[in-house]
Order: sequence, then structure tokens, then C-alpha cells
Amino acid sequence: MSELLKVRDLRVRYPVAGGIAAMLDRNRPSYVDVVHGVSLDIARGETLAVVGESGSGKTTLAMALCGLAPVLAGDVRFDGAAMSKARDQHLRPDRRRIALMFQDPVGSLSPRMTVRRLLSEPFRIYSELSQDPDRSVLELLSMVGLSSDFADRYPHQLSGGQARRVCLARALAQKPDLLIADEPTAGLDVSIQGEVLNLLSDLQQELGLGIMIITHNLNIVRHVAEQMAIMYLGRFVEQGLSELVFQHPRHPYTAALLAANPSTNFDVVPERIELTGEIPGLLQRPAGCEFHNRCPRVQPKCRASFPDRQSSNGKQGWNCFHPLP
Amino acid sequence: MSTRFGFLKEVFASLRKDPLGMTGLVIVVLVLLASVFASQLAPHDPLDVDVHNRLQSPSWQHWLGTDQLGRDVLSRVLLGGRVALKVALVAISVSLSAGLLLGMMAGFGPAWLDRLLVTCFDTLRSFPTIMFALAIVALTGPSLNTVIGVIIITSIPVYARIVRTQTQALRDQDYILAERAMGASTARILGHHVLPNIAAPLLILASMDVPAVVAMEAGLSFLGLGVSPPTPSWGSILNDGYSYLRNSPWPIIAGGIPLILVTLGFTFFGESLRDILDPKLRGKGEAS
Amino acid sequence: MTSPVLDVRRLSVSYQTGRGTLRALRNVNMTVQPGRIVGIVGESGCGKSTLISTIIRLLAPNARIDGGSIEFMGRDLLSLESEAMRALRGDGISMVFQDPMTSLNPVMTIGRQMTDIQHRDNRSRADKLARAARLLERVGIADPAEQLKRYPHHLSGGMRQRVAIAMALMTEPALLIADEPTTALDATLEVQIIHRLRQLQQDFGCAVLFISHHLGVIAELCDEVVVMYAGEVVETGSTREVFLAPRHPYTRKLLECDPGRIEESTRHLPVIAGKLPDLVDLPKGCVFRSRCDESIDICARKPPELEGDDHCAACHVVGQ
Repeated sequence: MSELLKVRDLRVRYPVAGGIAAMLDRNRPSYVDVVHGVSLDIARGETLAVVGESGSGKTTLAMALCGLAPVLAGDVRFDGAAMSKARDQHLRPDRRRIALMFQDPVGSLSPRMTVRRLLSEPFRIYSELSQDPDRSVLELLSMVGLSSDFADRYPHQLSGGQARRVCLARALAQKPDLLIADEPTAGLDVSIQGEVLNLLSDLQQELGLGIMIITHNLNIVRHVAEQMAIMYLGRFVEQGLSELVFQHPRHPYTAALLAANPSTNFDVVPERIELTGEIPGLLQRPAGCEFHNRCPRVQPKCRASFPDRQSSNGKQGWNCFHPLP
Repeated sequence: MSTRFGFLKEVFASLRKDPLGMTGLVIVVLVLLASVFASQLAPHDPLDVDVHNRLQSPSWQHWLGTDQLGRDVLSRVLLGGRVALKVALVAISVSLSAGLLLGMMAGFGPAWLDRLLVTCFDTLRSFPTIMFALAIVALTGPSLNTVIGVIIITSIPVYARIVRTQTQALRDQDYILAERAMGASTARILGHHVLPNIAAPLLILASMDVPAVVAMEAGLSFLGLGVSPPTPSWGSILNDGYSYLRNSPWPIIAGGIPLILVTLGFTFFGESLRDILDPKLRGKGEAS
Repeated sequence: MTSPVLDVRRLSVSYQTGRGTLRALRNVNMTVQPGRIVGIVGESGCGKSTLISTIIRLLAPNARIDGGSIEFMGRDLLSLESEAMRALRGDGISMVFQDPMTSLNPVMTIGRQMTDIQHRDNRSRADKLARAARLLERVGIADPAEQLKRYPHHLSGGMRQRVAIAMALMTEPALLIADEPTTALDATLEVQIIHRLRQLQQDFGCAVLFISHHLGVIAELCDEVVVMYAGEVVETGSTREVFLAPRHPYTRKLLECDPGRIEESTRHLPVIAGKLPDLVDLPKGCVFRSRCDESIDICARKPPELEGDDHCAACHVVGQ
């Protein structure tokens, strides 16, 4: 499989809105690091799932890869070439090769435009209107399994699942190589969620797309992604082959997250690792290992320094001084 | 575009269910027609002085009587309406366009530009309009263009501030981010995605602003700061009538009624337009 | 057998819409016994929100109750005066919503809100505050006295939901209705809240009606489960029985769709083919027939009744 996206030590830093209070309080940081050194690889035809709780920075990571968040440092290579850092999006020729599906499907569709107009929007942006736009729209709709009647609907007339299909069709109109899907199943019923994920997987096989799925639904990760990464406060604390991570989590946070997943399986009583407290705010990033104040295996060393990445034969890596055996 | 006509049809259909809004629309259309065809409709030359027949009550000859110089009041009211609406249309469209441009720049542009523009708007708005008008007239002398200029300068910040707030609210919407993610240029985002979403509230505001501007023109002309005599204006008709109120009430009535009609007409129309265009009120009953 | 806390009998509710009468609930039967946690599962459009709104009598103006009864501790809720109903809502029945931010007043401190809802007690403000602090402690909030001085936006999502639960338990209700209380929370918090709810239910001894679309959460928390589909109850029974040996084809399919239950990693997840029937123009016979693989002749003619003793299902095939 050929390498599509290669990210090394990506950092995203946002300035914190100052006010008089911030000016008076010198200890208050003037910036916040939302993505704090993330490295990842995605090959063509491969899916990476990024898992994390709200506030872990997973959406910001997606935004940064699409040029919508202020990147502080890091090396992003797309198809072997360094991504340009031009601020104005339309100056970037590689722009259209990464498509983003937003978490809120209805909200990411312009409310005053019909589906037909929304789906031809990418063609207009890339000035490709010479071809027959109506036919392209119908083709896109059929690709995502929607009938042509949908072309004249407005976003508010679509159900959650339908809106998600329209978003997917719009993403495909970009003819991307990489598709980033932010919570593609959020708010969907279980019977529909399978449809959307199956569609993604079919299109991936057909088009050879690289896919990055951002989710907090662990149940789907195993089925849709070969690779997974667990994100906590802007870092990947563990990443690797999904199968390995599920079978044998090494980072205590991964283990807690996997065990916290309520299941309908009565016979297997999960060994719950009860975490105390909640994910700290980004402005109060703990020193040392960020997880130390919730970690059941915490040692003095964890409070002082951040553990280096360890890995087992390159297929699973984690950042922890005291990983699970 | 079929969707656009469909939308107009929808607006008209909703208006028909709203008698007040329909009344407003009828008044607005009548006033506009009367101003456009003022010269054809006017039975007399509005500048024609006839001192023998001054301050007459309404008659078949002069439907609204004559003023202190014996000029036909109806003709003056009709031509005064043309002046009033010309001022309103020119001033509102210019200030709306400028406000739109500046407001979108402030709302979508970098923070320093936003701060600079907002400071300018606030500075302009801190002057009372009438003081501002007096200062300008003192510099340039009273004329129709001065009136238009004063209204434009004082209205731009009002529109620009509203546009800025709306643009800022839209800027962080997912569908605008989605456009950016696809690589759309700023001009395209503003023109195709921001503008259609802020156009509706602005149109409503503009239509509600017409009577305010008409009243302002009348007020400035009443004070002698607006159009110079003998050009008719509702304000100057009122001013003339005011001095001769004891002799005849007719000029005051004739100059006042169109002002009231315009105010009511545009306000009714604007309010029902707001109800129709509000996306929250539209399409209700569709949700189950 | 003791008398139930909540007894819903043959409840039918419809909405008047532009397209016609939308029959949102049809002949719904369900019971909540004292001290039990009953879960309602169902996908969007199944009528669970309408059922809750009917129980607390806060239906939309275009809704109409077509028949049936709701008894709460032996009192008929549907014939209760609105004044008496309001008193009951505060006292006998409490609610916890999905988004606690909408049920907490953003401009009042937590302490103020928690003392305000004790307005029926003739106690001093200090007593009321102390009671609020004790409750916050019981829902697992550290340093409750300090938290009482804060505003809702100071708290994280999980903390707000805990406050909402504490407020709902304040009046020691006989029935706590929790409408998707953990849907907006992350997995680790969800588990914390579920366990806390279970423990609180045991301490307070109240009955809980828990609405969720998350099968795993229902399985972990609830004693009994009510499965709803398109405005009807299709299966009821103990959670264990329903989830381990589902009788209704819909329940079976719903459980098959849960990716958490699929042991083998698969690229193709199961789905339920077809779509919900139009509730304005209901099909004759069983509502699930168009999506069911097992339907027989009678399914097209006659709607099935909920049958069984403890584990009931509304299906002709099961009945045979």
C-alpha cells in the first residue's frame, strides 16, 4: 500500500481571547495547544480511527489537516509532497485532495441551497462547470444511494442519515484521495449507522480512498478501521493496529476507555477501571504525563515528565511509564 | 432561476393571508406609482404662483386647496413625494451597499480591521444626526444632495454594524467552514453564502427605514436645511402651512397625511416581510 | 404483587399535522413497579418522547389523547386538574433531560436553584443549602459547598448532569424519568453516571423510567425493558430475557445491528432494510411487516396484540 498522508509532530496552537482579566493575570497563558505533537500515517485504501473524548482535540486535528486550524509546527506530507502553508485556501493546489465531512451534517450544508446546488458547489469552486453539472450531481447521488428526487430538496428536509449521505456525496465531488469523517455516525440510529459505515467502506474499496474516522463510538472502530489512535488532551497516547489495541491495550487510558463501553453482553462482566474526575481543560494541562491525575497506575515519575513512545514491533505504540503488562 | 420566482410567489401567497401586510403593500405600490408619474398626475404646475387664489379650501379646481402663494397643494404634494422617495431610495441603497461591504469586511476580516472599522462606526454614530446635518449644511449650504449625503453618512454605521454581527455569527457556522475546507475563496464565501443569509434581515430593515428617511428629509426641509425653495417637499409644505395655520389648515393636512401613509405602509409591509422571511417562522408545521 | 408506580393502559396519542392525523402512539401498555428501573428503547420516530410528554402531561398543542389511561400511584393522570398535575410534576415525578444546560438556569447559582426548588418546605435557607450540599455529595460531586456558589457554565457536562440528577431527587419522587441523560456524555463519564444512578435508585428507593437508544446502557442499568417501534410497544420483559432471547423480529434485528455484539471484525455491518411506516397513513396489519423476514398471511390483515406473561411480544409468528 502506498503512503498517502504522513504527519510528524503536528502542533496546533490557538491564541486565548484576552480580556482585561487575562492582562491582569500574568500566570494565565496567552495560547492553548489543542493538538500537542501528533504523528500518524495513512495509506491509500486504509482507515485510521481517531478515538477520544470531547475536548481531546480530535476535531481540531481534522481541521488542521484541512487547513482550517492554525498549525504551529510539524511536518505534513501528502502523497510525498510537503503541504503548502499558504493561508488563503484557494491558493493551495492540494486543497481538493482532502475532503472533510463535518460532525453535524445538516449544519454543514448551506440552508438556502438545494442538494443539487450544494453538490455542484465543488465544481464551481474548482471552475469545472464546462462539463454537464446536472449529470454529475445525479451520478453523485446514486453513488451514495440516494434517488434523483433528492436533488431539489433543502437540507432541513433531509433526515440525519440522508443529510450524511449528501455530505458524503459532496465530499466525493472533490474527487479526494483522503476523506476525513468527523463522527460519521453521531446521532444516527443503530439500524442506520451500519448503512453509512458500509457505504464508506464500499466507496473506499471502489475509489481507493484513505479514510480518517473521528469517533467516540468504540463499537464501530473494530469493524471499520485497521488502524486506531487514542487521543487524550491533544496527544495520541496509544496507536496501532486496531486488533492489537483492542486485544491488548497498554496505556491505562485506553484500557479504561475500552472497559467503559457498556455492552449488551451479559455473560462477560467487564473489569471496569473506574477513572476519577474528568478530562482537564486545555488551559490546565497537567505537567508530566497529562493523564496522571486520573490514572489508577500513577507513580511520582509520571507527574514530572512525559513518557517517550514505546512500541512493540512497530505495530502498536504507547506513551506510558507503567503500561499494562 | 425557478427557485427565486418560487420564493417570490411564496412571499406573495403569505402576504395574502396577512391583511395588514397586504394593506402595507398596496400603500407602498400606490405611493411609488404616484411619485413616478407625479408630473403626469399633477393637475397644475406646482411652481405656478397665483396670488389671487391663495390659501383656498379644497375645490374641484384645487382638490387639496392652494398655499400662501396660490400654488396647487395636490401638485406640490405629488412632486414632494417624488423628492422624498428619491432621497429615500438613493440614500438607503447607497448606505445599504456601503454598509454591507464594510460590515462584511469587519465581520470576516482580520481582528485589527474589525476593530478599526467598529471604532469608525461608533465615532460616526456618536454625533446626533441633526447636529451633523447642521454642520454639513453650514459648510455646503442647503440642497437635496446635502440631505442625501447626511442620511448616507449617518446610516452606513447602522447597516454596517448589523451586517458585521450577522457575518460574525455566520463565519463560524459549519457550512461556511465546509466551504473553506473545500478551498472556496473569501469573495465566493461572502457573495454566495454569507450574503444570501443576511440579505433578508437587511431588506426588512431597509423597508422599515424608508419612512424614517422620508421623515428625516421632511424634517430637514421643514427646518430649511433641505431642498431649497421653490422645489416642493413634504417638509417645506408643512413649514409653509405651519405659518398660515390660522388662515387654512389644508396645507398641513395635505403635507402630513402622505407622511403618515408612507410610515404606516412601509412599516406594515416590513413587519409582515419579517414574519415571512424569518426562517424560524417559515415552514412551521413541517416538523412532526 | 404490589400496585405499580406507573401503569399505562392502551394509550393512544395523535398529532394533527398538515398532512393529516399522525398516530404517534397506539395502544401502548407498560408498567413500572416500585423500585424498578425500566428502560425504553427505540429508534427515532418510535414515540418514546411522545410517551414521556404524555406521562408528564406536557404535550404539544396539536396533540390529542385518543384513548387509554395513565395511572400514577393509583391516580388517573389524564383526568387530573392542571393545578394538581403541576404539583405532582414537582413532587411525585421528576425528570432529568439529555442536555442539562437547558434545564438549569444559566443566570442563577447552583445553590440558588437548588434552594428554590425546595420552596414548599418551611425551612431556613441555611437548612436548605445544607440539604442541597448533602445531595450533591450523594451524586458524587466533590466539595459541594463550593460548587453551590458556582453557575452552570462553570461546570463540565458530567458535573451538570450530576447536578440535574441531584435536583430531580431533591423532592424524593416516587418516579424519576431520565430522558437520554448520558447521550451527550463521553463513555467514561457515561459509566460513572449509570453506576451512580443505580446506587441512588437503591438508596432512594424510587422507580426509574430510563429512555435511551443505547442498547448497552439499557442492558447495564435496567431491570426491565420496553422495546418500541413506530408508536407501538413490540416487546417487554426483563432486560436479560429480552436481550438474550428476543422474541419480536424487530428486537432481534435491532440487537443484531449493535456493532458491540459482533464478535468477529466485519467490513459489512448489518442494517434493518426498509424504513419506518408513515404514521399518517398506517399500513394494515403489523407495522413491522414491510421490514420483517418472517411475516405470514395474518400479519397483513390484523395488527398483533402484546401477548405473554412476563416476557411479552406483539407478533403473530411468536404467538403461534
